[in-house]
Amino acid sequence: MANSLWKGCLRRLEREVPDQQLNTWIRPLQAQEDGKLLRLLAPNRFVLDWVRDHFADRIQELLVGQCPDCPPKLKLEIGTNLAPTRATTVHPSSSLLNPNFTFDTFVEGKSNQLARAASSQLVENPGGAYNPLFIYGGVGLGKTHLMHAIGNALLQRLPDAEVLYLHSERFVGDMVKALQHNAINEFKRYYRGVNALLIDDIQFFAGKERSQEEFFHTFNALLEGQQQVVMSCDRYPKEVQGLEERLKSRFGWGLTVAIEPPEFETRAAILMTKANLEGIELPHEVAFFIAKRIRSNVRELEGALRRVIANSYFTGERITVEFTKGALRDLLALHDKLVTIENIQRTVAEYYKIRLTDLLSKRRSRSITRPRQIAMALAKSLTSHSLPEIGNAFGGRDHTTVLHACRKVAELMKADTRLAEDYNNLLRTLST
Amino acid sequence: MVGTGSNDCSCGRQLALDFQWDERFDFAGFVAGPNAEAVAALELIGKGDRRRVIYLYGEPGVGKSHLLQAACGEASAWGRAVVYLPLRQLVNRSPRLLQELEGVDVVALDDLDCLTKAIEWQQAAFHLFNRLQDAGRELLMAGPRRPAKLGLALPDLVSRLQGVLVLRLEKLGDEDNVLALSRRAQRRGLELPKATARYLLNHCRRDTGYFFQLLDKFDAASLQAQRRLTVPFVKKVLAEANND
Repeated sequence: MANSLWKGCLRRLEREVPDQQLNTWIRPLQAQEDGKLLRLLAPNRFVLDWVRDHFADRIQELLVGQCPDCPPKLKLEIGTNLAPTRATTVHPSSSLLNPNFTFDTFVEGKSNQLARAASSQLVENPGGAYNPLFIYGGVGLGKTHLMHAIGNALLQRLPDAEVLYLHSERFVGDMVKALQHNAINEFKRYYRGVNALLIDDIQFFAGKERSQEEFFHTFNALLEGQQQVVMSCDRYPKEVQGLEERLKSRFGWGLTVAIEPPEFETRAAILMTKANLEGIELPHEVAFFIAKRIRSNVRELEGALRRVIANSYFTGERITVEFTKGALRDLLALHDKLVTIENIQRTVAEYYKIRLTDLLSKRRSRSITRPRQIAMALAKSLTSHSLPEIGNAFGGRDHTTVLHACRKVAELMKADTRLAEDYNNLLRTLST
Repeated sequence: MVGTGSNDCSCGRQLALDFQWDERFDFAGFVAGPNAEAVAALELIGKGDRRRVIYLYGEPGVGKSHLLQAACGEASAWGRAVVYLPLRQLVNRSPRLLQELEGVDVVALDDLDCLTKAIEWQQAAFHLFNRLQDAGRELLMAGPRRPAKLGLALPDLVSRLQGVLVLRLEKLGDEDNVLALSRRAQRRGLELPKATARYLLNHCRRDTGYFFQLLDKFDAASLQAQRRLTVPFVKKVLAEANND
């Protein structure tokens, strides 16, 4: 049935309400009419509240004006006309895969080699040995990109497969809605019926017991049916607080791979790839210049590149190292100011809650030596000081001590996830 | 030039639940000075030429809120659905307010620094960011400092902010400030001599919202007294206002 009643109201409102308000609050509404009821669907809570407070009475009056004998009742709710309301509250509309995030646009380097290799092997044999695949690493290192790439490749290989990528928050939201609408069985059927479930940032399940319970069953059902599950998280599964033990243990059943912060060459390659996607030929020396100074994560690199490109569009100038220095002056000033050996020492001492004087002393207890070695490794990685200079700054130590510290930290990071996390946290604090 | 919309809006501003932007903050009333690049970027957002996410930062009073609202106004004039959210006024409410906004074409989040102590709001903003990205919507944000220096506890949100186009707004020079004040007065039909504008800049709080309130006072007082806005007259009006 055509929405003739609503159209009538709309024509009147167009004459009464200023354009700005009409565009913001009235036009986004979608109508459903059945003679006795005019249901107006607002795209979100804001529009709903605003329309209820400011326009509901007027709309009701207009309805009475149009059907004085038997005016329909007005009902306001959040929703959309695209599909039956219940279905949209339960099912995510689509798999939300970003077509730009593919394996081709993913820049491989030492830091993400294993995760990249596991992901492409998974596509060859979904539901096989790497089930579930658990990808973990700090923010902005490419976990989400890799998950989209898996999803896109799976769909390319198996076009009929039901591949669902979503953020853990959406799973929680869908479940809450399903409970509210008494549609939990539909919810279960939907999530348990996909061929691949790619779920991002599962650390946001922490503390949400009912969601964990539901996810646990979804997870089991998919694994039993040999359907693929891929998860990402900001840390190793066992270290997520507020997550049930049985979930943590199951997440480790398949393959768990880490993504580390990219090293210099990868950072430069990432910049050139991203620039290419924007249709820009980024000179190598500019990529090296940015990659040398920004090392915390890929997103910050991306932000810097966006800034340079936007500035070049605006000024019409060519992108050179000099130009880049100007465009990124605030960002670079921030980095140069922070990354000194003294600052590294202070930050590490604070992080481990030890005294700065102990860090620089001759003491050799483990609680002091480890932070000292980490601080030395960070100084080597983040500043351009030589090994003797670093040794000197740490209470007059020999350059071989610094070299040993750097090797030791690199070796420990492979075996000890806690230490690796500490190192990466410090790296992030110092370089953002 | 005060239309019906502006009158509604001024009344609406008294309400605690007003998420409408203020139409008086438009691009024509903004003196770009050293911030021409930011203005150009936001004008593009308004017209919907590029799907972008922008974070503006700069000291209080540089015009962040003005530009966000100007972009909202422009986008709305092009028929797009827009929501402007001054977080300072909202942070004491439930962060559920940020749910289900992905149907809106342009979302503007002002005063991101107000979320520093509100971890649930940070999470809600992070989820909103992801959903808007998935839906291909535009998001404008503003705060006083760079993303990494906002003091946000959620690294996921910080890194999202670092990846967008981050633009810094600089303070206007004195001459640009005088021009900005005069232009705002002129748009309300008031003539503000340069000397008076300089006096106000040196003696009053440099806050655009406050200045709009002053203009209301000057407007009423000059009409009543039939006097031009000279320095002595303005001084008198300010003194009377302080006594009130």
